Amino acid sequence: MRVLALILIGLVSLGQAQEVLLDPRVFEIGRQLRCPTCIAETVADSAEGISGEMRLIIQEQLVAGKSEGEILAFFQERYGDWVLLDPPRRGIYLLVWASPVVVGLLAVVLLMIYIRRGQQQAAAPLDVSSDELERVRAALRQEG
Amino acid sequence: MTRLLIVVVVTALLAGLFWFGITASQGRAIGPTQLGRVMPDFSRPVFARYQAEFGETLSLPTGKPVVVSFWASWCGPCHAQAPTLEAAWRRYRDQVLFIGVNTQDRGNERQAEAFLNQSGITFPNVKDLDNRLGVDYGLFGVPETFFIRRDGTLQHRHAGPITTAQLSAQLEELLQ
Amino acid sequence: MTFELSLGHFGMASILLAFALTIYAMGSGIVGALKQDASLQTSARFAAFAVFLATTTALLVMLVALLTDDFSVKYVAETSSRASPTWIKVVTLWAALDGSLLLWAWMQTGYTALLALVALNSALRPWALVVMQGVQLFFLAVVAFVITPFQVLPIPPLDGPGPNPLLQNHWMMALHPILMYLGFVGLTVPFAYAMAALITRRPGTEWMQPVRLWTLAGWGFLALGKITGGWWSYEVLGWGGYWSWDPVENLSFVPWLTATAFLHSAQVQERRRMLKAWNILLVTLTFALTILSTFLIRSGVLSSVHAFAEGPVGPWFFGFFILVMLFSFGLLALRWEQVRDRSEFDSVVSREGTILAGNVLFLAMGFVVLLGTLFPLIVEAVSGQLVTIGAPFFDRVTVPIWLLIFVLMGIGPLLPWRRAEGQTLARNLAWMVGGALLAGVLAYTLGVRRTYPLLTVAIAAYNLVSLGLLIAGVVRPRVRQGLGNAAAVFTRYAYENRRRFGSMVVHFSVVVMALGVAGSSGYRLDQQLSMPIGERATFGQYELLVTGLFEERRPYKVSRGATVEVFRDDQFVTTLTPRINLFGNSPQPVSTPSVRYTFWSDLYLNLAGTVDPHDPAQQSVILRVVQSPLVAWIWIGAVILALGTGYALLPSPRREPMAARESVPT
Repeated sequence: MRVLALILIGLVSLGQAQEVLLDPRVFEIGRQLRCPTCIAETVADSAEGISGEMRLIIQEQLVAGKSEGEILAFFQERYGDWVLLDPPRRGIYLLVWASPVVVGLLAVVLLMIYIRRGQQQAAAPLDVSSDELERVRAALRQEG
Repeated sequence: MTRLLIVVVVTALLAGLFWFGITASQGRAIGPTQLGRVMPDFSRPVFARYQAEFGETLSLPTGKPVVVSFWASWCGPCHAQAPTLEAAWRRYRDQVLFIGVNTQDRGNERQAEAFLNQSGITFPNVKDLDNRLGVDYGLFGVPETFFIRRDGTLQHRHAGPITTAQLSAQLEELLQ
Repeated sequence: MTFELSLGHFGMASILLAFALTIYAMGSGIVGALKQDASLQTSARFAAFAVFLATTTALLVMLVALLTDDFSVKYVAETSSRASPTWIKVVTLWAALDGSLLLWAWMQTGYTALLALVALNSALRPWALVVMQGVQLFFLAVVAFVITPFQVLPIPPLDGPGPNPLLQNHWMMALHPILMYLGFVGLTVPFAYAMAALITRRPGTEWMQPVRLWTLAGWGFLALGKITGGWWSYEVLGWGGYWSWDPVENLSFVPWLTATAFLHSAQVQERRRMLKAWNILLVTLTFALTILSTFLIRSGVLSSVHAFAEGPVGPWFFGFFILVMLFSFGLLALRWEQVRDRSEFDSVVSREGTILAGNVLFLAMGFVVLLGTLFPLIVEAVSGQLVTIGAPFFDRVTVPIWLLIFVLMGIGPLLPWRRAEGQTLARNLAWMVGGALLAGVLAYTLGVRRTYPLLTVAIAAYNLVSLGLLIAGVVRPRVRQGLGNAAAVFTRYAYENRRRFGSMVVHFSVVVMALGVAGSSGYRLDQQLSMPIGERATFGQYELLVTGLFEERRPYKVSRGATVEVFRDDQFVTTLTPRINLFGNSPQPVSTPSVRYTFWSDLYLNLAGTVDPHDPAQQSVILRVVQSPLVAWIWIGAVILALGTGYALLPSPRREPMAARESVPT
């Protein structure tokens, strides 16, 4: 389906003056890849030469009918897991994937404990010494 | 007291992590080195001046260790390290093949030729006209030098200009 | 060899004087506080003013050195250039690591002096000042002894390299760092008071009263700093975006999240005397995170687009961070039993309940962002492997948390304290959810199909109905009492209740910005086109025509670009001029995109490839074209946020009813 769309875009653009060098899908995939020579930019956004080359490669592979997964795997083979902006779902990286869920559960549990304890304390009678109680009684008698 | 202990322990863990970060960030490779990877073969056109000796196209040899060095005409450090590579080539040419790859130089054929003229390099250089060889090798930048064993696996890669000492150490290991 | 007095000597002397005076101020402050000696405390306060005078002198000296091209001063030689225009020379003061630390130190001393001037006398004040001065001692020490920007070069160079090209490209460079530092330093004041409260064992509500305005101002500056940073990104970096989950962005985002949490839970302490320990923890966490982020950014441990060059300051900030952790959290741990209160939660469904839930969500978001940012370092430390955690991860984990916060923001202000009454709550919720459903259905039929934008529109409508109900709840009883018509009553209310109205305005601005983010991230159109010169090309709803190439030469930069005429429905709309700048000191060209801002969407053009007006063979131009819907709403929302925060900072025209309750001793 996507190939068809690309071919159609290609045909349509043949009729127009401009040449669509890079399809929007290139940027979508590029946003999932790290620019290898930049400090912290994606392949979609970086202005560096190597990112430009990678975008052209992605475009070529899209036209050739490769899927997003295959294109990402292509770069992963050459640059390692590190080039993927989404860490792979295996090994130590599972910690990162699990962490939001763990944090969420932890937060909910702690919150519930805190509220439960607060409500119990509010319901429990005050711990007051008999002296203080006598003082309050005396003051009340005076007032009224 | 327990709370104080928690504070100290957490701080110590963070301190350890960040101290590692400080020391590791000096001289850290930009990306993963992927040592042991079987380096992809290629077939690229040879610059005119080397064709007599090495043929029109060049590929990775089998059974012989190779040093593949990527450079570009606009890259100053590439120029600076050229004599180092040339000297090592002259010493080891019977045992190790040196291949220079001109990459990231689209439209700069003239400048690339000039670079080779000025550097006086005698080991063969090929053209990576579409920059794909660089991507296939997982290039992080220029200059970058790859040391490939006889069996085709990657022994070491060095990003940035290389010194004689570093070069010799890798070459000795290649020949073992 | 004769000794010639130069500006550099003068600057160095000022900084050293400031350093020495700070030591004195701390010493006399500590002794004065311990012995309750008023004259020593006054002496400490005057020392704070003197320190500020000294650092102001140092700052002015550096400014003069930059403006007069005095290359004998080390910092000027390293970062400035003769050819730069005046405003860039001024900006150079904070464009590089060393100068930015000088600026931070100056601001820190300024805030301390201001605090010494306006803070009401109390048992806390001397200790708060001591803590502020402790922080400024560190910054002054780093400036004076580690980076020494005023060092005098015996043989001054004839010219310097000029600042980083990325920082010369836009006037926002003048504003963004200043706002960020004002925010960070501003949030140091509540931290200082919290420490003072722990030291003096007065952890009740007393310490929060004086810091309310400082907290709000610091928070506001930091929020604006982050947003202007996003706008700078948008206008300069060339990819049409404003936020990329870059490590530096993340690291300065997390303390803002904890500061926002604190801003809200402070109200709970004010009204219900609850969450005392929690508030001290939050404000301490905010400060620790600020120092952590500064450390990580300036040490080179995590690299980013923001990377300052790695300098020698890394280990120093590391040491300071460890010190802050041990001192502040250690003190809190020791005093914990005295600080924690009996939490008296009547009901979760109440104002304090939603604020607490919101707090937890803010902290959860901060935690996952921090963890994601640090995770590559952790993996590397444990296994040596290199991994990247990028935008897809952060988007995936923060968006759900944000949407929950967005929902709470609507219902929270409507709930009363202690316990919500069932019927009113149900009625309000019915209106709000109804509004959400209506807006959602409307948006869906209009073509908004993606999940995140659709949810945002629905929850935005829910929030707007909530604001409407809030206003109705204020206006209707007053109109019924015959105090005037709705408009008059509401104007009077807004005039008298600045804090409440300010917060309504800020919440409204959040709705506006949320819609801007949803529109621009969900429906962005991105393409790269090769456009022949002189022929029309189509992009989205526009037609573009490259009419020609141009070149502009200035002493410090050469710009080459393309003139592009924009048409829509055959009508001429505007001319855009994306360009590529080459600065003297750097071989790497920097592109400046050209943007057409409109209320509904932006058209964004950036040059890719090379442009050579002198080359007759160049027949076409490669342009990256982006269309971003609603992105202007983010900047509009920022202005509204600034107005709302500013208004909330204004003093009340008459004594607020709350003040009476606050003066009663705990």
